[in-house]
Amino acid sequence: MKNKLRFTGLALAAIVAFSLTACGSDKKNEGGSASESPAASASPSASASEPSASAEPTPAETVKLKIGARYFDDDTKLPYDYAIAELKKEMPNVELELVPSQQDDNQKLKTQMATGDLPDIVDTDWSLMQVAKKSNNLLVLDNEAETATFKEQLNKGNESKLIAPDGHVYAYPYAGIEFQILYYNKKMFEDAGIALPIKTIDQLKEVSKKFVDKGIIPLAIFSKEKWIGNALLKGFMTREEPKGYGVLNDATEIPESLKLAAGQIGELQAAGLFAKNATNTNYDQASALFYQGKAAMFINGQWEIPNAHKNMGDGVDWMYWPAKDEATYESTKFAMNGQGDPSGFAVSGHTKNKEIAIKVAAFMARKYAEYKFTMVGNPIVSIKIDKPAQVQMPKMLERLSTEVIPNITSFAEVLSSPKVGLAIDDNSQNLLVSGFTLDQFVKNMNQALKDK
Amino acid sequence: MKQYLGNKNAIVLFLAPALLLYSVIVFYPIIQTFYRSFFEWDGLSEASFVGLDNFVKLWGDPLLSTSLKNGFLFALVLVVFQIGLGTFLALICADVTVKGRKLLRTAYFIPVVLSVTVVCQLWLAMYDPDNGLINKIFHAFGLSYSQNWLNLPESSIFAIAFVNAWQYMGFQFALLYAGVKSIPEHYQEAALIDGAGKWRAHWYITLPLMRETFKFCFVICITAGIGAFVQMLIMTNGGPGTTNYTITFMIIRNAFGANQYGYACAISVLLVLISLIVTIIINKVFDERREEAR
Repeated sequence: MKNKLRFTGLALAAIVAFSLTACGSDKKNEGGSASESPAASASPSASASEPSASAEPTPAETVKLKIGARYFDDDTKLPYDYAIAELKKEMPNVELELVPSQQDDNQKLKTQMATGDLPDIVDTDWSLMQVAKKSNNLLVLDNEAETATFKEQLNKGNESKLIAPDGHVYAYPYAGIEFQILYYNKKMFEDAGIALPIKTIDQLKEVSKKFVDKGIIPLAIFSKEKWIGNALLKGFMTREEPKGYGVLNDATEIPESLKLAAGQIGELQAAGLFAKNATNTNYDQASALFYQGKAAMFINGQWEIPNAHKNMGDGVDWMYWPAKDEATYESTKFAMNGQGDPSGFAVSGHTKNKEIAIKVAAFMARKYAEYKFTMVGNPIVSIKIDKPAQVQMPKMLERLSTEVIPNITSFAEVLSSPKVGLAIDDNSQNLLVSGFTLDQFVKNMNQALKDK
Repeated sequence: MKQYLGNKNAIVLFLAPALLLYSVIVFYPIIQTFYRSFFEWDGLSEASFVGLDNFVKLWGDPLLSTSLKNGFLFALVLVVFQIGLGTFLALICADVTVKGRKLLRTAYFIPVVLSVTVVCQLWLAMYDPDNGLINKIFHAFGLSYSQNWLNLPESSIFAIAFVNAWQYMGFQFALLYAGVKSIPEHYQEAALIDGAGKWRAHWYITLPLMRETFKFCFVICITAGIGAFVQMLIMTNGGPGTTNYTITFMIIRNAFGANQYGYACAISVLLVLISLIVTIIINKVFDERREEAR
């Protein structure tokens, strides 16, 4: 009896498991391989559209499209609402259904791709594009008329926002190439008798010591988020190598420029530039330290300017990244650490309304850029906007607009290996903690470059 | 009852729902994880079979030793604090002569019902190197011993493990207390009449009779330690760098950060195997002790 029961149980479990495994296999086969899929041909966009070409609605019909976009705060909600209002005027027959994206490293979008539920239009970035292009989840937009128009409208130097490192166009960008800057509290610097600008690492070390002696944190950094340590390292590296992390794409061992930058951060850490708890500090805590006058400097992207202005008015300004010496500082001042990785609104490879979806994606990108330029006063957008800004630009943005943007000599290049990116994240965070040596950094990075 | 056990259809009918649920939620994902560990796969594209390459790669991954070491240290802290202290407190609370034991029993369990996020935030504030309670206590006593608790590569894992140990000590305490109470009181009484002291009686009678409870507690503590993740994620995000990585962190990093789902599956397989081996060893050790006791 006991044996029979055991046998029945095992048999039942095996049947259930194998039937489910069989279901899994079928699903896998349906997806097909990249080489077998029609969308993997030389012009995947055309191939992907073929089955649905006859289903394209006539202009008078209402077209319902789903759009995956970020929609959770003023920065994300207001441009979306603006673009939707404009879309209703321009394309009244198009109805967009919002499928909000999450701040989850694209996990929701990847799941939607895996299950075939990706919205027709999706706000995406380079890391997602790399996965999506392999699995034919996004249309390649190289030969679309909208792409040609977009290329003409691009702001100078923003080509890499539209054209991916593999030479294809997957999305229409609205943001320009953003970069990180060092903010400083003008009054605190004045009170400490510190001469500006700070041009060299040695000067920055002296400044750090001065502030530490006064009981002030020299630089607030929210390094619990690893990307900001990564950005700090890139900021210093770009002073030596304008391509930034782009040089790592072909490197098999760490370049001197990265080694120097890591060494500089190590020295600055020893000089007390960072708070003891820097690697456990989040954005809210770090920004509060700066805005409440407990830290003299703060590092973030240029997108922090409106917030900094709101909190400190004219009491805050930004500085260029220091370099190893004054000559390097002057010569590489306008080599920006921001990298032009492609991003923006892409079109699902499985949309049933390919033509309209492409038009809407391009339209949304244009209107997002228009909103950011005219309503926020942000000059860092992907395309030229022919409407005037309707808001008073903070002085810091004006400085960026007139002093930096017209003089930019280069932007950093995209690092394509996620694995090397993770290694930089980890090791740049380590540099902010005492006890981590330059040799360890070099060893870890060489290992990552070898394994990429 | 006999009628039901003799009816095969009834057995199948009653077993099927639970078995189906178990198969779908546990068995099938485990099988899939084992299967996928032999592929190079980004989670979306066509996977390519690579045999044991993922396991070979895992063997050479420097993160593995860090993660394993952290997992076992984490488990050690849990065992010492949760089982060691939990047993001591369970024995105290089971002693009818101790006043306020009901209150203690409730108090020990309170952290278990708190959200893990709340507990981590609480300890983050306490560990703060400049304004945290722990360093302030040292200062208050005039001691210069203040630490950057969560940033020291050699000791931060203990600081984090302690948070888990503190929060879930009450859970182990509840199990151990139930174990103590399940032992008939007359064993203890007989030992006391024979002249044994209270703690001597516990050592020779209560603790050996709690073998099965200890076995269960050890399995829970050690497997929880090896697979620890949440506290590291909330408190240090695995950092500085990868200092506080565990095997679970490696899985998350490779699956969702590096898009290496096949490799992440191989790491998951290792985690499952380690947990299984540890469970088997604990069972063996406790069973051998039981044989020796006989």
